[in-house]
Amino acid sequence: MKNHLKALRAEQGWSQATLGDQLDVSRQTINAIEAGRYDPSLPLAFKIARLFGKSIEDIFEDET
Amino acid sequence: MTSEQATYRFFKVFVPAMLVYIGATAVIVHLTDNGDLHAYTLYALIPVPIGAIFVAFWAQWRFASELDEFLRQIQIKGTFVGIACVMIIASGWGQLERLADVPTLPVFWLLPIFWGVQGLATTFISRREGVF
Repeated sequence: MKNHLKALRAEQGWSQATLGDQLDVSRQTINAIEAGRYDPSLPLAFKIARLFGKSIEDIFEDET
Repeated sequence: MTSEQATYRFFKVFVPAMLVYIGATAVIVHLTDNGDLHAYTLYALIPVPIGAIFVAFWAQWRFASELDEFLRQIQIKGTFVGIACVMIIASGWGQLERLADVPTLPVFWLLPIFWGVQGLATTFISRREGVF
């Protein structure tokens, strides 16, 4: 799944660690999501969407 | 809880548990080899290393529970590789023992093999996933 997490994080001026702290996940997890190596669970996707005030579809793109 | 805190909590339990396991096993083997160990004493002592193994696995379970979903996935994959390796060795060598005249593999070695393979597999998967 492609996502716009890196761009959204950059807009806020947050580091991966800062974003991870706000989502209660590790920096490594943020890095893996941004790099497209890991697709987050639905609860984490909702948390990300809520944090940025967007819908899940605005952040994640289904490539299928 | 951060992954660093979870890792610290894991090793704080896992390392002492493994030291107890190795120490108790060494003492039991030494006493048995010297013929100083009565069968009842052996039965009384054997819960010590077995209890240490239980504690080590409990620590592993707690560690996986405390990690976030991505890191937990890596731990579970590593554990699966460890289990698969132990099962393949046990089944494969067991068949050879049954059908061919190969030396007996003490099942005692399955646990160290599991921890070794699990640790290596988790490290390899972590590197591949860019964790470090």
